[in-house]
Amino acid sequence: MFKFIKQYAETINGANIYPLLSLFIFFLFFVALLWHVKKMDKNKIAEISKIPLEDGSENELPG
Amino acid sequence: MQVEKFYYDNKTVRNFAYATIIWGAVGMLAGLWVALQLVFPQLNITQYGSFGRLRPLHTNAVIFAFVGNGIFMGVYYSLQRLCKARMFSDTLSKIHFWGWQLIIVAAAITLPLGITAGKEYAELEWPIDIAITLIWVVFGWNMFGTIIKRREKHLYVAIWFYIATFVTVAVLHIVNSFELPVTFLKSYSWYAGVQDALVQWWYGHNAVAFFLTTPYLGLMYYFLPKAANRPVYSYRLSIIHFWALIFLYIWAGPHHLLYTALPNWAQSLGVVFSLMLIFPSWGGMINGLLTLRGAWDKVRDDVILKFMVVAVTCYGMATFEGPMLALKSVNAISHYTDWTIAHVHIGALGWNGMLTFAVLYWLFPRIFKTELHSKKMANQHFWLGTLGIMFYAIPMYWAGIQQSLMWKQFTDAGQLKYSFLETSINMRPFYAMRSLGGLIYLAGVLLMVYNLYKTARAGKLVANEAAEAAPLEKIYVKHAGEHWHRWIERKPIKLLILSLVVILIGGIIEMVPTFLIKSNIPTIANVKPYTPLELQGRDIYVREGCYVCHSQMIRPFRSETERYGEYSKAGEFVYDHPFQWGSKRTGPDLAREGTGNLKKTDGWHFRHLREPRDPSPGSIMPPYEFLTTQTLDTSTTAAKIRAMQTLGVPYPAGYDKVANQELMMQANGIRINLKSEGIQVPMDKEVIALIAYLQRLGKDISKPQNK
Repeated sequence: MFKFIKQYAETINGANIYPLLSLFIFFLFFVALLWHVKKMDKNKIAEISKIPLEDGSENELPG
Repeated sequence: MQVEKFYYDNKTVRNFAYATIIWGAVGMLAGLWVALQLVFPQLNITQYGSFGRLRPLHTNAVIFAFVGNGIFMGVYYSLQRLCKARMFSDTLSKIHFWGWQLIIVAAAITLPLGITAGKEYAELEWPIDIAITLIWVVFGWNMFGTIIKRREKHLYVAIWFYIATFVTVAVLHIVNSFELPVTFLKSYSWYAGVQDALVQWWYGHNAVAFFLTTPYLGLMYYFLPKAANRPVYSYRLSIIHFWALIFLYIWAGPHHLLYTALPNWAQSLGVVFSLMLIFPSWGGMINGLLTLRGAWDKVRDDVILKFMVVAVTCYGMATFEGPMLALKSVNAISHYTDWTIAHVHIGALGWNGMLTFAVLYWLFPRIFKTELHSKKMANQHFWLGTLGIMFYAIPMYWAGIQQSLMWKQFTDAGQLKYSFLETSINMRPFYAMRSLGGLIYLAGVLLMVYNLYKTARAGKLVANEAAEAAPLEKIYVKHAGEHWHRWIERKPIKLLILSLVVILIGGIIEMVPTFLIKSNIPTIANVKPYTPLELQGRDIYVREGCYVCHSQMIRPFRSETERYGEYSKAGEFVYDHPFQWGSKRTGPDLAREGTGNLKKTDGWHFRHLREPRDPSPGSIMPPYEFLTTQTLDTSTTAAKIRAMQTLGVPYPAGYDKVANQELMMQANGIRINLKSEGIQVPMDKEVIALIAYLQRLGKDISKPQNK
C-alpha cells in the first residue's frame, strides 16, 4: 500500500522530526486548553452545567 | 419569546433499552460458556461451538451489542433533552435501530460459522463491515440533525463526547477494515504483518477508548448529575477531560505491541502517551465522584447511585491499571496472560456494565411512568454485580501473574522449569473460580431482567413525552470579551472537525512512518510467500480462531527464546494478510512451530488436532476432529492467489493457474508421511492443509541465511 508515494517518502531524512513535532504539538495544545479554561466566565459555566437538570420535560417521576 | 411545545421520542429509547438487556444477557451467557469451556474442554460441542469461534462471539456481543445498544439508548434519551428537541427523524431512528440489530444477528450467525476477518474485535467480514459503516452514518446523520435543530444554545459536554465517539469510531472502523474481498464472505486485510498489527491495535485500543469509554463518559456527565440531582462538580474540568482524553488516547495503541517486532520508536510513543492518559482519565473519575459531594448520604439509599459509584470507581481502577500495564517492565510480565483479561473485565463488567444498569434502572420508571417494581431486587442485583466482579477479577489477576512467573522460571541448571502444558494445567482452578464470578454477575443481570420486565408491565410507555422550550434565537449576538471556545461550543460541525483533526494527528504521526519508511520493516531474503496448501491451511487457522489462544510473536526474552526459539523479526510477517500475532497465550506460541526443538511429525499434529488430550493429557484445547473428515475447498485457491498478488505478494505471473496442482503435490506428501505413521487419511481433507501451515511456521528464518 502507499506504493505511489513510497519513493518520495523514502527520501525523507529519517523520522527524527517526529518526536520533536509531537512534543511541540502536544505542548501548544495543552497550553491553549488550560488558558482557555482559566478564562471562562463563571456564570456561563454555572448556566451550562445546569442544562441536564432543566430538560423542559413535564414527565416527573411519580411519588 | 413564544414557548414551543414538542415531544421527546421515548419509543426508540425503549427499543434500544430492550436490545441492551437482551443482547447483554446473551453476550454474558456466551462469556460464561466460553469460560466453562476452559475448565471443561468437553463443552466444545461441534465445530460451531468451539472456543475459537465462540470467544469472538462473546467479545463482539458484549462490545457492539450490549454496550453498543447501551450507548444508543443513553444517547437517544439524553441528546433529545440536552438539545430540547425531538430526534431529527423518526425514520432514521427506526433504520438505525433495526439496522444495528440486523448487524448483530449477522454477527451471531457468521462468527460460529467461522466467517471471520481474523482481527480481534474486528472479526466481522466485509459485507457486514459495509453495513456497519452505513448504519453508523445514519446514527451520525440523526444525531447532527437533532443538534442542528436544537433549542438549547450550548452544547453540553456530554454531546461533545457523543460527537467525538461518532467521528472517531467512523475513522477507526474504515481504516482498520480495509480489506480485499476474495469471495462473498472472505477477504484479506489490505495490510500485512507489522503494519497490520499497528493498524489493528490502533483500532483495538481506540475501540476501547471511543466505543467503551467516551460515549459512556458522555452518559456519566448526563445521568450522574440527573441521578444525584446536582450539576457536575467542575464543568471546567470536564472540558480539560474531554480534549485531553481524545488527544491522548489515539496515540496509545502500540502499548499492545510492546517487545514485539514493531519498531521501537512506535512502542515508546505508545508507552509515553499511555502514561499520560492517567491524568484525563482520573480527572474524569474525580469529576464524577465529586459530583456526589454533599450527597454521599444519598448513596446509601439510592441503588442507582450505588451502581454509578462502583462504575466510576472501576473506571478509575481500570484507567490506573492501563498506564501501569503499558510500562514495558510490567508488560513483560502481564502480556499474553489472564492479567489482561482481568483488566478488561474491570472495565466491561464494572464500568460499562454497572453504568448501563444504573441508566436502565433510572430510565424504566421514567419512560413507563411508574415506580421500579422492586428496589430490594435492584439492591440484590447491585451486590451480585459487585461480588461477581470481584470473584471474576481476583482469580484472573492471580492466574495471570502466576502463569507468567511459571513461564519465566528456570532451574538451577539453567533449564526452563515448567513445560507450557504444566503451567496451563495449573490454571484450571482459577478458570473455575472465574466462571463462578461470571455466573454470579449473570445471576444479577437476570434479576434485573425480571425486575425491569415487571416494571414495564406495571406502567405504560410514554412514547411521546411532552416538553416545552423557547426556540433558539436565529441571530446570535456576540458578547464583548466572549471567548473563542464558546464559539466552538455552539457549532457542532466545527466541533466535529476539530475533534477529527485532534484524533488524526496522533494516528498519522504514529502510523505513516511505519508505512513509508523502509528501514522500519527490514526485509529478510529467506522469507517466501506461502505455498497454496499453506495459504489454505492458514485460512483454516484464521477461520478456527486459533489466534484467540495462540500467539505468533516471540519476544526477545531468554524465557521465550529458550522455549520457542529465535525471537520474531518484523521482516518475517511481510506476507501475512492478516497478521496473526495474537494477544493471549492460553496455548503456547506457534511462531516457530515447524522448526527447531518444537518441530513435531505430521502424525503428531494429526493426532493432536483430532484429540488434543491424546498426545497432551490435560490440554484444554478444543478437538478438531471435523478437520479430518471435511474436504478442503480448492475452488478458491486461484482467487486467493490472485488476491495475494494484488496485495503485493510476489507469486510469479500465472501462478494461480498451477496453484492447485502444487497444492495436490504437497498434500500428497503429507498424506504419505501420515501413512508411514499409521494414519490413513485422504489428501483432500482440511487437516492436511492446516498441518502444512503449522509445519511451515518459523521455517523460513531457520534456513541458512544469505549473507
